[in-house]
Amino acid sequence: MNFNNVSKRIEKIKFALLSPDEIRKMSQIRVITPDTYDDDGYPIERGLMDLHMGVIEPGLKCATCGGKVDECPGHFGHIELAMPVVHIGFIKEIKSMLDSSCKECGRIKLTDDEINNYRIQIEAMDFSTTDPEIIDMTLKKILEMAAQRSICPHCNAESPKVILDKPTTFREGGIKITPKEIRERLERIPDDDLLFFGIDKASARPEWMILTVLPVPPIDVRPSITLETGERSEDDLTHKLVDIIRISQRLRESRDNGSPQLIIEDLWDLLQYHITTYFDNQTAGIPPARHRSGRALKTLVQRLKGKEGRFRANLSGKRVNFSSRSVISPEPFLSMNEVGIPEIAARELTVPVLINSFNIDKMKEWIKRGTDPRTEDGKYLAGVNYLIRPDGRRIKLTDQNAEINSERIDLGWTVERQMTEGDIVLFNRQPSLHRMSMMAHTVRVLSGMTFRFNLSDCTPYNADFDGDEMNLHVIQSEESRAEARIIMKVQEQIMSPRFGGPIIGAIHDHITSLFLLTHNNPLLSEDDAIHTVSYIEFDKLPEPVIKDGKKYYHGRDIFSLILPKGLNVKFKSHLCAGSKDDKCEYENDPADTYVVITDGKLLHGTIDDEAVGPFSGIIVDKIFRKMGPQAASKFIDNVTRLAVGYLSHRGFSTGIKDYDIPKEAISRIQEISNETLDKIEKLVAAFRSGQLQPLPGRSIEDTLEVEILSATGGVRDESGKIASQYLGLNDPSVIMARSGARAKMLNIAEVAGMVGQQSVRGGRLNRGYANRTLPHFKENDLGAYARGFIKSSYRAGLNPTEYFFHSIGGREGLVDIAVRTSRSGYMQRRLINAFEDLKVDEKRRVEDTIGSVVQFKYGEDGIDPTRSDEGKTVDVDYVAYDEFGDEQ
Amino acid sequence: MMSLIWRDTKKNIDLISENVPCSYAIEYMPDTKIDTGYISTDKQNIDYEVKISKISKYEPAEGVLQKRKTSLKAILHIESIRKIDRTPISEFKMEKGFKELTSFALGEKFHVEYREKEEFKMSDDASVVIKDADSRGYDIPVSLAYALIKYKKSLPADKYEKLLRRVDLELKKREIDPFEAVGIIAAQSIGEPGTQMTMRTFHFAGVVEMNVTLGLPRLIEIVDARRIPSTPSMTIYLTEKYRNNEDRVRELIKSLENTTIIDVADIITDVGEMTLTIRLDRNKSHDRLVSMGDVLSALEKKKGIIYNQVDDDNIAIKLQQESFKVLYQKQEELKITPIKGVSKISRAIARIDPKEGAWVIYTQGSNLREVLNIEGVDATRTTTNDIIEIENVFGIEAARNAIYREAENTLSEQGLNVDKRHLMLVADMMTFSGAVRAVGRQGISGRKSSVLARAAFEITSKHLLKAGLLGEIDPLAGVAENIIVGQPITLGTGAIDLVYKGNKK
Repeated sequence: MNFNNVSKRIEKIKFALLSPDEIRKMSQIRVITPDTYDDDGYPIERGLMDLHMGVIEPGLKCATCGGKVDECPGHFGHIELAMPVVHIGFIKEIKSMLDSSCKECGRIKLTDDEINNYRIQIEAMDFSTTDPEIIDMTLKKILEMAAQRSICPHCNAESPKVILDKPTTFREGGIKITPKEIRERLERIPDDDLLFFGIDKASARPEWMILTVLPVPPIDVRPSITLETGERSEDDLTHKLVDIIRISQRLRESRDNGSPQLIIEDLWDLLQYHITTYFDNQTAGIPPARHRSGRALKTLVQRLKGKEGRFRANLSGKRVNFSSRSVISPEPFLSMNEVGIPEIAARELTVPVLINSFNIDKMKEWIKRGTDPRTEDGKYLAGVNYLIRPDGRRIKLTDQNAEINSERIDLGWTVERQMTEGDIVLFNRQPSLHRMSMMAHTVRVLSGMTFRFNLSDCTPYNADFDGDEMNLHVIQSEESRAEARIIMKVQEQIMSPRFGGPIIGAIHDHITSLFLLTHNNPLLSEDDAIHTVSYIEFDKLPEPVIKDGKKYYHGRDIFSLILPKGLNVKFKSHLCAGSKDDKCEYENDPADTYVVITDGKLLHGTIDDEAVGPFSGIIVDKIFRKMGPQAASKFIDNVTRLAVGYLSHRGFSTGIKDYDIPKEAISRIQEISNETLDKIEKLVAAFRSGQLQPLPGRSIEDTLEVEILSATGGVRDESGKIASQYLGLNDPSVIMARSGARAKMLNIAEVAGMVGQQSVRGGRLNRGYANRTLPHFKENDLGAYARGFIKSSYRAGLNPTEYFFHSIGGREGLVDIAVRTSRSGYMQRRLINAFEDLKVDEKRRVEDTIGSVVQFKYGEDGIDPTRSDEGKTVDVDYVAYDEFGDEQ
Repeated sequence: MMSLIWRDTKKNIDLISENVPCSYAIEYMPDTKIDTGYISTDKQNIDYEVKISKISKYEPAEGVLQKRKTSLKAILHIESIRKIDRTPISEFKMEKGFKELTSFALGEKFHVEYREKEEFKMSDDASVVIKDADSRGYDIPVSLAYALIKYKKSLPADKYEKLLRRVDLELKKREIDPFEAVGIIAAQSIGEPGTQMTMRTFHFAGVVEMNVTLGLPRLIEIVDARRIPSTPSMTIYLTEKYRNNEDRVRELIKSLENTTIIDVADIITDVGEMTLTIRLDRNKSHDRLVSMGDVLSALEKKKGIIYNQVDDDNIAIKLQQESFKVLYQKQEELKITPIKGVSKISRAIARIDPKEGAWVIYTQGSNLREVLNIEGVDATRTTTNDIIEIENVFGIEAARNAIYREAENTLSEQGLNVDKRHLMLVADMMTFSGAVRAVGRQGISGRKSSVLARAAFEITSKHLLKAGLLGEIDPLAGVAENIIVGQPITLGTGAIDLVYKGNKK
């Protein structure tokens, strides 16, 4: 069997400590010189840039493996330290070992009985499945017990208390214990006792936590850079290693010369400092090592830690090639599955094609075209950018060498061709909050410089076109392309897993357009009808209505053209929202109350947000379930085209004129607002004279506020009602609000009627100056105007005070959004991190990585929420309706 | 009848068992008559029951067993001792509700009635539908069986048959795919609408000091599994006798609200005379149904003061130890001396719940254990928003349901539509280990089995160094660690090891 194409997997990774011997064994060279390069710029032998540790300059070869720059992976070196030094990361462990083990014999200070008992207890715990916290707690308890004991039960020696003088000095009875002594003590701890210290005897020895040899990382880990001036600049780690070697050398010399103890100790401490900061330059209690410029050095721990550290920035998230980013703009004539890509991007991004006997002739042809081919009428044609030989060498194709290279290719070569129509790509907008933030589209190469897509895709991406940018990734392998097509394509993502309904649908003007087309079933002249249907694909025009010898078509019949055959559905439209029973609040025409579609024909009802919009989209939902994603995407494409076709022909506009209401309406609003002002004045007067009766459980002040708030809230609603009495369904703004296209009736009331009370934190405005909101009010003025009541409408305009108060209210909203995004972002990061490993197994159980069962049946019914009927397992009533219609 | 409950060592218990009947000296003198005692060895559970014939004052005497060597106060004459089934201390009604037995306590054993769990009974119609489905080899859940009943009745047999087949087909079509990354989907489904939530707190019926955290802060609080929620609150349902009787409800509220002296009286300090005077405020005390007697009995337990009632409204208080410092201390102490009510419940209001059609009490502050014991409270439905409290009182399964319910209420109150399966998964993940674990580094994420995944989340270097000592092995089973080493993850299509062998000649 040939499994060459099967990628190998790393099965597991074991962590352990490096022993001094191991460090020496893996080292290619012992570094002894604290210098890097000589005057000619050549690496000094046995220096920190020795060629044995790898090469970073082109032209040189590695002294160990003979590889050139990109071939040599780098090799370790080592430094022999003059004196042992404590490893800063293990201070706590060293302390607890000194505390709990005997100074003389090295045994843990527990009796043999205790040792046996605890050993059984610990060994019973499986380290890979037991909660690490429980292990920690158990060990801590045992160690504490041993630490309490001052006399060793094994050799009866007395161990005085060891004090850790942070960060790295240990004292025993006030006298310093040198790392050398500590090492000797740790060496005495027998392997069998290590279990109690939380050390695996196969992976580590305690004395290895005291360093005698220091590994020197390969040069590739700490490359030096050459500045424009020709000056060399070394990496922070190299700087630190220079310090370490220099001090270690001096320490060795002083020791060998028999210098005074004091000098040796000072140098030893200095070596400890350098090694500590080499590991972690943010250790509490010592000043961070600094660069000459005063910048703190970025040493090992700093490289790994935090959002910009190796783990989160480079290992959990990786930069990729074959990707592109641009501004987005709308294009209703693209399918929702497509994305329009600018030519310049299509030429740059490539797809690898492995040459085989089926495609070799075609690819030869493509190579011949060169890098910038076009058809005779100037249209885009895909060319080829690179050829990759079977040995991995890359050849850049130019228009000059295209002809020759087209003959060179053979089976086993790879051709990197430019993108062409129909390629599948991933498209993404950040923040990627859910899986619909990255979906697969098929490519259409278009002129211009922006990415373009169908407007119905705005909702899942949460995109608009006020300057948003999006990312695009070209898929490089055949398996990925297959998966993207089957799983990630936009049409497969119409249903949201969040609530089991469609998240893709018509938006804004498209809803308005369909509303106008179907509300009251208007008659379209033959010209209008033909223009409208010219935007969509359809079989046959509906039956016309003949009137005065001319042909007319019904709006609903035209809409029915895009409905698939066999669709049966019945529901209340958005226009009818909020109404109980069968009676609509606003609608008198019974034909508009219910949308009824039988066998793909709209019998009556108004198509609006409820029918085709995202989040509700009942028609989209039913088509998707019954006829599948292909039919649903075709329907949405047609909705977009039909809506654009009809609305651009009919015309639709909105403006301040929409909010004109007659004089009598204005004076009625005036009247009720005056009434309210009077009422508030009376309330305040009653409050001042102490006559206001407090509501149960509330203070008088609160009672006043509650009463006033309910009065101002009431008057706003009232004025809105008055305004909307004069604004009917022929008013464009009202059409938009009532069809669910954009805005709410409340917003219209604010423009035409009255803006109403402004609030901060749910109460009236009350801060600013001492006991007043603005300096021209009297102190403690509790009246309506002084506390943020706006009696003007947006249309009439706000006076300066009102404008100011309105801005106060508006700012609260902005602050709220700013705070919310960061808080909810962190919550989602934590949620994802905690839940990312859960999966369903073949029996529909939910398991984590170690195989613990979290749920015995996913969601208690084993049903995918994406495929549920808005959460319901199966909507039996709809199924029955779909099968048998209204009879039953 | 009160019993004496105490904690003792195994050694002492053995000693008593060997010598029974015997005299046993303890360091506590109960002030009521007692004939039974219960002994706990672990603060949480009762293991032994003893019969006590007499309690006398301690005098050193021959043959008296001693619990400890010093400060002994009483001798229990123990007739018999027997080991009983392990009973949690929560089954004892204590003077004060508590979680742990520290030394001695007086308490009464509840009469706990154990009932067999009632089997869920399907209606006859539904079981007929299930039987119909079974006979055709369809596996239909009970909820759908109920929905199908009306069609069984109204549809002709052939159509009913067809409907059954269609429902079965729908069920099979809708099953979740094996290896689906349900965790990530759940996390995204809850996190994504987070940006649409408000941050305001909701003022309960406009009562300013009583509000409930809602929206995003509440959701964060739930997944954090915070020990105490920022606004603990209870919803108390009442038994039939109470729920429609406004007077009884009002009385119940008064007995719930934790009333201190300062709530019903003024405390006047006379610095010259070094005295304090408690002057009862008639209006306030009437409002809270507190009498002079209640105040006096509250003072009874206070130490370091001598009090006497001057007239109907005033109580004069002298200090045992006269100093300004003590005077001030006592004044502050008296202010917060509880008279009646349930501790931790600072406010309670009743409203007629429209759904319920009866009075329901809402409180600020929560004390589930004690409230459930109050006469008139419907213990089967009364609940709190404090998840940890529910865990302590009812156990982990109840906590799971509480997490689910609280999350569901928070989201639906904001008008956000999130499938309940996601919330269930979150609740199950937080509780399946047997204790409530928070989402985050303290809880679920900090206990992942993978070193690399932990290092990538937070506190990188600590986890790596520790892993070296422990010789940990990262099995590369999860998502984060496989991304780190750069290989396909083990969920979804990556969970399947299937290779196409190809056509070999």
